[in-house]
Amino acid sequence: MPITPMEIYKWLPKTNCKKCGEATCMSFAFKLLNREKKLEDCTPLFEEKKYEKQREKLIELLKPLEEATETGLIVDEDLCVGCGNCVVVCPVHVELDPKGAAIGKGPTIDDPILRVENGKVKVINMEACRRYGKNRVLCVVCRENCPTDAIRFLEG
Amino acid sequence: MICPVCSCLCDDIEIVDGKIMNACKRGCEFFSKYEENRSKPLVEGREVNIDEAIDAAVNLLKQSKSVAIYGLDTTVVEAQKKAIELAEKLEAYIDDNSSFCLGEFVEAVLKEEVPTTTLEEVRDNAYVMFYWGSNPHYSIPRHMSRYTYYPRGRKRPRGYEEDRFLVVVDVRRSETATLAKKNARFILVEDDLELIDSFFKVLEGKAYKYSSDAAIILREMKKSDFNVVFGGLGLKYGLKDLKPFFDLVNKLNEVAPLYFIPAGFHGNMRGFNETLFENVGVVNRFSFKEQNSKEEFAFTELLKREKIDTALIVGTDPVSSLPFEVSLKLRKIKTIVVDPRNSLTARIANVVIPSAFSGLETSGTMVRSDGVRFKLEAIEEREINDVSILDRLVGEL
Repeated sequence: MPITPMEIYKWLPKTNCKKCGEATCMSFAFKLLNREKKLEDCTPLFEEKKYEKQREKLIELLKPLEEATETGLIVDEDLCVGCGNCVVVCPVHVELDPKGAAIGKGPTIDDPILRVENGKVKVINMEACRRYGKNRVLCVVCRENCPTDAIRFLEG
Repeated sequence: MICPVCSCLCDDIEIVDGKIMNACKRGCEFFSKYEENRSKPLVEGREVNIDEAIDAAVNLLKQSKSVAIYGLDTTVVEAQKKAIELAEKLEAYIDDNSSFCLGEFVEAVLKEEVPTTTLEEVRDNAYVMFYWGSNPHYSIPRHMSRYTYYPRGRKRPRGYEEDRFLVVVDVRRSETATLAKKNARFILVEDDLELIDSFFKVLEGKAYKYSSDAAIILREMKKSDFNVVFGGLGLKYGLKDLKPFFDLVNKLNEVAPLYFIPAGFHGNMRGFNETLFENVGVVNRFSFKEQNSKEEFAFTELLKREKIDTALIVGTDPVSSLPFEVSLKLRKIKTIVVDPRNSLTARIANVVIPSAFSGLETSGTMVRSDGVRFKLEAIEEREINDVSILDRLVGEL
């Protein structure tokens, strides 16, 4: 199940108290998902007893965020069969490695974003991904072409 | 390094710092576990040395009246040639897994009944691609990413969404079918013949069950001078007779060029088919005694009909792969197993001769699903391998 800002918002105090530095709880939810804010920034959630259940729910809900890479990519290695579809379709690989990954072979560049190692896809160099950094593009081409849904993104 | 597990024969496998790079799950299992569960030379369950095991095999073969040689799909062409030589000498039956796999497809290709091409050409040129009755996800995981749908080719530089048109034909929504999204078509069929008929009817200007799908595909095919169809086991077992399918491929060639490649099978099944074809003109289930090929000469049929008294099984595991009532018959006959692995068949065999893994411990030639030959280099060459074992059997008989 992908995590959505709305899902996070549902469990926040919804008081728009601005103690986290954001104007609204909704905006805080977005920042949480993008990992620009931490749950601890919402002080009422930790200080007031009435939010205890909500806090526990949120901690559980946000657990995958810790496993995910900086671009929100999560690889489930149990599902991966190492077909390499993601490696070959990645537009960054096509640009950087026209004689390798672009024509179906294993990447010939030193630091590809994804590479199949020991029969499973591994994230090697997340910084090259188009989803990384400030001017990012929400590309999902690797997830789209995974036949087993072994690749997921936080936002869905 | 070339991976010998399936007929894709991926040639970009590397081992760096103990990590197996680029191989799929199947390939990786092979490279990481080849040292496990190895067979030992055995005669009637007693451990002996390799020479004694070979001598016991020679004796068994000498005493038997009707021998079948079976398997050979995972070994190199050089060993397959020796096996055919041995079968000729013994006037034996010879068969491989292709008699219940895609042998008929390979035969049609070798007899030039349908036009065929290579996977490199497919990558560089193909537009419409059919996966008909085939789910590469399980059997040939890298087929689509390495050779067909996903890579960019010389004439297809813009990637799969614009420069390819994927057609998946299956009886269920397979993993491959889920990839058929934009610029693609998934056709859920109940009977392959109905889809074949739909294409014929559309060409005549008539409507039929799948005519809207067929019309769209025909329109796309006309956009390109290179289209390809990969036929899998689902297609073979979906049709009682493959002729209508081959007729369709030839008929569609009048509309736009369409090539046929069997989807995928064991590493060197096509190698066996080609080697036997060069020798006797058929691809499998051949009897050197009767000098012809019949359905009843397939290994499974020989077992069912109790036509043989000894089987020489090379590099395959019929006990785990054949139906129980068929493999049970192996108990009634003498069996000689040549296999690097202590397979289930090796556990019930009268004689076990441990061999080496082809492509990893034996150098030699293998043939990819499209007929391109590859020279495999062993990383640790073993003296006792399928070629040397079969060579000794030929010499001593």
